Amino acid sequence: MSGARPLRVLLAKLGMDTHTVGITVVAHALREAGMEVIFTGLKQTPEAVASAAIQEDVDVVGVSSLSAGHTRSLPRLARLLREAGAADKLLVAGGVIPEEDVPLLEEAGYARIFTMGTDTRQIVAYLTAWGAARSGALQP
Amino acid sequence: MDLAAAVLAGQVAAGARLIRWLDDGDPRGRAALREIYPATGRAHIVGITGPPGAGKSTLVDILIAQERARGRRVAVLAVDPSSPFTGGAILGDRLRMSRHAVDPGVFIRSLGTRGGRGGLSRATYDATAVMDAMGYERIFVETVGVGQEEMDVTALAHSTVIVAVPGLGDEVQAMKAGLLEAGEILVLNKADRGGHAQTLRHLELLVHLRTGTQAADAWHTPLLSAVASRGEGAAAIVAALDAHREHLHRCGEFSLQSGRRSEQQFLAIAGARLRERLLELAPELRAQVRTQQLDPYTAAERLVAALPGPDP
Amino acid sequence: MSQARNASPAPPGAGADERWEREVRAPFVAQAPERRDPFTTQALKWPIKALYTPADLEACGFDYATDLGYPGEYPFTRGTQPNGHRSSLWTMSQVTGFGKGEDWARRARYMLAQGLQGLILEHDLPTTNGYDSDHPLVEGEVGRAGLAIDSLEDLVRAFDLPFEKLRYLMSVCNAPQPVNLAMIIAALEARGVDPRGFVVHIVNGILIEYTCVGRYIFPPAHGLRIATDCLEYIIRHHPNWAPISIISAQLQPAKANPVQELAFSMAIALAYLDATLARGLDIDTVAPYFHFVINVDMDFFEGICKLRAYRKVWARLMRERYGATRPQALRIRMMTSPTTVALTLQQPLNNIGRLAIMATACALGGAGEAMTTPLHDEAHALPAEEAIRVGAALQHIVAHETGVADTIDPLAGSYYVESLTKGIEEAAMAEIGRIEAMGGALAAIQSGYFQQALGREQYERNKDIEEGRRKWVGVNHLVVPGEKRQIEIFRADNRVEEEQVARLKELRARRDPAAVARGLARVREAAAGTDNLVPACLDAVRALATHGEICDAMRAVFGVHTPDSQLTGV
Repeated sequence: MSGARPLRVLLAKLGMDTHTVGITVVAHALREAGMEVIFTGLKQTPEAVASAAIQEDVDVVGVSSLSAGHTRSLPRLARLLREAGAADKLLVAGGVIPEEDVPLLEEAGYARIFTMGTDTRQIVAYLTAWGAARSGALQP
Repeated sequence: MDLAAAVLAGQVAAGARLIRWLDDGDPRGRAALREIYPATGRAHIVGITGPPGAGKSTLVDILIAQERARGRRVAVLAVDPSSPFTGGAILGDRLRMSRHAVDPGVFIRSLGTRGGRGGLSRATYDATAVMDAMGYERIFVETVGVGQEEMDVTALAHSTVIVAVPGLGDEVQAMKAGLLEAGEILVLNKADRGGHAQTLRHLELLVHLRTGTQAADAWHTPLLSAVASRGEGAAAIVAALDAHREHLHRCGEFSLQSGRRSEQQFLAIAGARLRERLLELAPELRAQVRTQQLDPYTAAERLVAALPGPDP
Repeated sequence: MSQARNASPAPPGAGADERWEREVRAPFVAQAPERRDPFTTQALKWPIKALYTPADLEACGFDYATDLGYPGEYPFTRGTQPNGHRSSLWTMSQVTGFGKGEDWARRARYMLAQGLQGLILEHDLPTTNGYDSDHPLVEGEVGRAGLAIDSLEDLVRAFDLPFEKLRYLMSVCNAPQPVNLAMIIAALEARGVDPRGFVVHIVNGILIEYTCVGRYIFPPAHGLRIATDCLEYIIRHHPNWAPISIISAQLQPAKANPVQELAFSMAIALAYLDATLARGLDIDTVAPYFHFVINVDMDFFEGICKLRAYRKVWARLMRERYGATRPQALRIRMMTSPTTVALTLQQPLNNIGRLAIMATACALGGAGEAMTTPLHDEAHALPAEEAIRVGAALQHIVAHETGVADTIDPLAGSYYVESLTKGIEEAAMAEIGRIEAMGGALAAIQSGYFQQALGREQYERNKDIEEGRRKWVGVNHLVVPGEKRQIEIFRADNRVEEEQVARLKELRARRDPAAVARGLARVREAAAGTDNLVPACLDAVRALATHGEICDAMRAVFGVHTPDSQLTGV
């Protein structure tokens, strides 16, 4: 455990979907990797998630979507974060998201979509690399 | 607007950023804290503590609702343990307060203990100061357990609420942890559970025993029941918090406690710094103690004697 | 000659086993190291020995009479039916529903024409969570994961079916169960269908929702009361229907191992049982109504032995704990199914093979009353019609082409199968004892015991795959590089949502507001008191109160459930 500041990650589940297995596994993996994971709970609206992201001053917002409202609610979340001045936060999504929707979400501000079954080590590596690059960039 | 000014103006994003800097030990945080510190000492800081499973977060959720109904702005610090091995943490308390997520009058912040002791994060004192400076009237600090550490929640808070639950074997726990000495308000949550009457009787006895030893104008710890999942009991708890705050103001304890809190943190920080410095200053004494040539008492006396004393 | 007949050799004992290990196997393994170290079962991770022999049966105290018995007799390990599947096969069924009422009816008619005899009615997420299609929280979800039922009229439209071809209809809608039940009763009435002609099966399984699925509305104690109301109502008024199904299969995506599945689902069953018995019904009347849906996973023997253990554990609990005497109370009722959790997104045709293996395991373990086959591309989408045909054919292939169903419990007596069955049984009974000691399933849910146990399993099992300890073809073994799998996510026509919203508006304009208000008031009254909620819901449903409105009436009285974070396993 070095003196490096831990990455703070908000994990959110939007809408009606209540599957928690995927997000549970990711949350544990992130914690094992030394990150602080803040979990919003289930059935959240994009407004509630954006508000939590600001209050918690997280580095990363990770949204899980296993039902299909994602083409509307995910872009709305991205827009709310931008409007709140939080565009510097890394925005990622995971779950059951078809290939053909990825461009739409990337347009909307999602840096990376982790489709279902992505190895959690890959997710950890991606976030860690992003965090390292960012603190490198921020060094005075 | 610079960050300190934004914090003093009550802007949540600014407050959140400052808390982050302080939590991370970012020097920019220290600079801003210097500027806002004079504005602290006003908020009523309420510790909410008790064993895991007591329903503290659900209780805080309904207390927030009560405070909001009275038109007050409320801040919450929810502290959860960080893994001592990886440093990571899963901070999930805010999910039980999620209905307040979009209320602009409520600021909820989660902290990992990050090696802090007594169930608090090292940054809890700092985060409390930030929320204080932002103008929140009441700040709930939710932690697990009550330690006997110098920096635990009872040193931080003006009022500490101990949350107990029926049937968790807390009769024995309460005795052991000296819970009653630590808390000013005792809440028996999940009062709809089995074993409730028995636990209530036991707690009543403890309160009664304590009351017997107190002065007439001392604060008498109320014992309240709640079923937080049904929203029951919140009004009485907030009323008790208001009464305790009144009591503290009346007898001058409020500002004394705010002062003690600041001093406590000063001593802890200074103590840690001095410790490091002392070890640098006295390598021979250290070596002698390490090889048992000198006993620790004598070594300490010699070290202190060598320091410049207080001004005459 | 006579010597050979008289001197039947005694079964080899532990001594003989050791000799073989020492002199034959160990030297071989020294030259040819084993391909796994250690060999363990897939979910339980119990060590698998190289060889099982009579010594293993002796070691676990196996006794044919007490451990197995005969089919159709206590303890029913070899089967609850006297003649296995030799007289009649299990009912073959599949999951159906999506879209508006008319779409579901069309799909249902197709499936019946393909030889299926049971239908499972899934509801969309808004309905399952107690919301109408026009609620702000539900956009994008209407009609997607199942049928959208906002009012009685939606269900009447869905019930445009040849009911004479149907053996049973299962409805999955746990949290708002009394509303859903009332809708079903009233819709059948409206269609003039005799409710005694087939079986309506409501899942009514709210306790598993709190444990791992998450589609709950009210706090757990109220959830249990609601479920008991539905149980009691059906037992008293529709005694040929099935008022509950413990879908222990849902514990599998949550990564419960077979012992946890068996123990948690039994503890949950006991909670419902105790609550129903408290209504003045007796065990011999109530127990026969209980029904389990049990999945098997790819570990062939864990699946088979788990099914056998289920039968024995239920029988033991009913007799030892409740003193049940009627055979129907002691015989567990179950429906089996290959699990979707074993299927892969990658190389979907492989899944047909997996389904065939798992369906065979069900048949060998005893398929129960019915088997449901998920579809090979159901990994992430709702069924396409070709896949339905393949899934249905699979069951017929197992039933008619393999011979596994032609004798009863053919694997009995296998040294491995009996050791594993007994091991699962004993571990499960111990776990059930622990859960009862903490106050039963309701207390376990409230304290987060189930959720935390499952959270741990989820993390560990995922690590097993990521770190290669478990080989999964297509995922971490024999991976086709660059395989691009199109996820066939079923896109709900946005039209479904628009049409439902329009229908709701029109309904609200046309119906009698006073009758609706009266119906809702009755629901609130029943909720606040102890009257059974189902009659009150029937009144409200017939007055055309909407699904969401009736659920809101109950929310007003019961409150809503938000679990402690420690309790989600996260």
